[in-house]
Amino acid sequence: MNDYAVSVATIIAIQAIGALGLNVIVGYAGQISLGHAAFFGIGAYACAMLTTNGLSFWLALPVVLAISGSVGALLGLPSIRLKEDFLAITTIGINFIVEAIFLYTPFFGGALGIGGIPRVVFLGEKLKGVGFLWLCLAFLGASVLGCLWFRRSWLGLGCFAIREDETAAASMGIWPMKFKLSAFVVGAKLAALSGALYAHYMRFISPGDFGFPVSVMFLSMVVLGGMGTLWGPVVGAVVLGILPEVFRPIMEYRMLLYGALLLGMIRFQPGGLLGDQSLAMRVFRRLRLRGGD
Amino acid sequence: MQLFLEQLLNGLAIGAIYGLTTLGLALVYGILRILHVAHAGVYAVGAYVGLFAAQWTGSLLMGVLLAGAVSSLLGVAIERLVYFPLLKYPPYVPLIGSIAVFISLEELIRLVAGPEIRSFPAEIPLPALKLGVVTVSPPLLAVYLTTGLVLLSLWFVTTRTEFGLAMRAASQDMEVASSLGVNSHRVVSLTFVIGSFTAALAGVLVGVYYNQVYPSMGAVPAYKTLALIVVGGMGSVPGAVMASLLLGVAETLLIGYANVPLPRDALAFIAMILVLLVRPKGLFARRSR
Amino acid sequence: MDPILEVRDLSISFGGLKAVDSVSFSMARGEILGLLGPNGAGKTTCFNMISGVLKPTGGTIVFDGRRTDGLPPHRMAELGVGRTFQIVRPFGALTVLENVCVALGGFRYRGFPLRASGFWLTRATLERGEEILAKVGLLDLKDARASSLPIGNLRRLEIGRALALKPKLLLLDECFSGLRHEEIVMIEELVRSIRDSGVSVLLIEHNMRVAMGLSHRVVVLDHGRKLAEGLPQQVASDPAVVEAYLGKGGVAVAP
Repeated sequence: MNDYAVSVATIIAIQAIGALGLNVIVGYAGQISLGHAAFFGIGAYACAMLTTNGLSFWLALPVVLAISGSVGALLGLPSIRLKEDFLAITTIGINFIVEAIFLYTPFFGGALGIGGIPRVVFLGEKLKGVGFLWLCLAFLGASVLGCLWFRRSWLGLGCFAIREDETAAASMGIWPMKFKLSAFVVGAKLAALSGALYAHYMRFISPGDFGFPVSVMFLSMVVLGGMGTLWGPVVGAVVLGILPEVFRPIMEYRMLLYGALLLGMIRFQPGGLLGDQSLAMRVFRRLRLRGGD
Repeated sequence: MQLFLEQLLNGLAIGAIYGLTTLGLALVYGILRILHVAHAGVYAVGAYVGLFAAQWTGSLLMGVLLAGAVSSLLGVAIERLVYFPLLKYPPYVPLIGSIAVFISLEELIRLVAGPEIRSFPAEIPLPALKLGVVTVSPPLLAVYLTTGLVLLSLWFVTTRTEFGLAMRAASQDMEVASSLGVNSHRVVSLTFVIGSFTAALAGVLVGVYYNQVYPSMGAVPAYKTLALIVVGGMGSVPGAVMASLLLGVAETLLIGYANVPLPRDALAFIAMILVLLVRPKGLFARRSR
Repeated sequence: MDPILEVRDLSISFGGLKAVDSVSFSMARGEILGLLGPNGAGKTTCFNMISGVLKPTGGTIVFDGRRTDGLPPHRMAELGVGRTFQIVRPFGALTVLENVCVALGGFRYRGFPLRASGFWLTRATLERGEEILAKVGLLDLKDARASSLPIGNLRRLEIGRALALKPKLLLLDECFSGLRHEEIVMIEELVRSIRDSGVSVLLIEHNMRVAMGLSHRVVVLDHGRKLAEGLPQQVASDPAVVEAYLGKGGVAVAP
């Protein structure tokens, strides 16, 4: 497998983990979150700061997850009082404020960011190339399993209920605040994992990597793949990761195509590729029926 | 003292421009409950059309008029092709559509007009006004006059004309307004025309005031105006304008004059969060909401 | 025997408007109490205060011997109050069976989130869910999407969900409206059997025949105040009640 394909695959795997996290917040619990890049960035910076100061990746990771869980709960608080539009704008604001904190605080390296992030060491070997890809894929698999568990647990069922109708859910013993914050905590942890892997892949991070456009990218993946489905975010990450490479010859028009693709998707298939009513699923079902004859 | 007053005037001008931009957003939100992020794309298009038209015809006025016309068409096109079909879905759907349109518009501008920053030299046919120790330069005066005119006309239309009444009715309850004979869809489209026209005006003013026009000039206003409509009270036009003026002055005085080390663009969101903590419906929210 | 529910001087104001004004009544265990009154009388608002959706601005609510005014809805559900909604609120994207299973979470929804980490898709849960669906006559629709159901089935689903909570008190908000005759008869039977199993029922209903027929006693509200209380026949011939419903000079409502 050539180097180029490996690097594309690695980025896709990393982004898929982040998208899975956003899907828990937006797709499972129905809380709009347009600031996911903030959680991604907090994970990246936290991990980078720990490993550039001597801690091994494997020891840093639990710390990063613990921090991001708390931050997730904190930044998820607005979702308790605010609905829809107010919440959307507040999450955008949170994204900007977190980015500004990274940019203006010398402790985080300011505009220059953090560089010289060491490679991840596994069983005595420094992981790079295919080795690192395997690491990311392993974490991706674990993340998918985590989401599967969430969907099958009472926690997940409660979140689905809140998404569908918060008042009715509350009347059934489900305390909206607890469940919403739990979704944010899980989503933030997945984003932080994604960020930590990103930091150790790029080996250099700066505040601009975690701005609002990145939040939009994560949301696009979730929407494209199918909000609320298990594999949707992964499908979305793959499609949005491969497309720019396919259009590499026409580099100039990449962003335009991305915008147009997103627009077309949301305009004609808001449920996403794996959504119930989508063209892809309908074709898939028809093929399965035919195969069963 | 002189410096303070000069910065105050600057701040008011910046606030006025924010106000012109945010106005359209507030109007659209008031009537469709959609966060029209693409509005900033319309604003940028307006700036570019204004620039090219002014250079081509040699007249700034022509530039402004053409910019307004093109932006209005663009705004209505977005409404009819993207928002209207998506109204039946949950709010995040049209929001993502709006973001997608914004990204596409920015890119189109970059591809068609080039990524470089262009200057917008313009002869403003206004005198400089001397007020005691400070001088109001022609660009400042132009900003004040334009904003004042727009606000006045808008107030007149909203409160004194039949269309204004229809607009207010439709933004309260579109179904009821329809059943009373208001052509709601036409009202919506006309609202977009008004909003987009003012966005184009704002774009041209910004181009002239800062002598800069560039493809990503809509990026910061896109998010700042969102914070502003929250602070002003969602859907309230006077609230949005007040919030814009306050922010313009605050940004300029706090950062330009008092040298507070806060990031300029994050100030809007910080202010928004503070306001939301104290008054969750915004500073000037409509009672009926 | 102590009452299951005691409401004393219950009031709520919205802005300047007093939607419910000093309403008092009590409900004995195992009785079916009808809460009646013309539109806008404040009946659903009372429900909302009892189930915790709204916080009263005055008065007290004592449920099962414990003061509960001001407690949030999920606490009321824990304590044993189940309710249906006047405008149905199904979990649209979930199946009928899943809708009922949501209500089976019980103690797992309480305490630290980790307690909710167990799987809900177990044989035991599904069986209990199906039992309840059978009781409300929706078993054959268990895998249908809730959003695809007509109003009659949705009303039954709401009752099923509330039953799954194993409530001591069931609040039924106009659960007969929009139903066909056969469905009404079936739900009447269902409500009687629910009461027979020991659950107290407080119901809001506009269908007079059903309300008078099912209730042991009725309370009539008008403009936020209690107008009358007593046995159905008594209240039906009370001139103040008749006037409230039909205006001056109206005919008595036949029980």
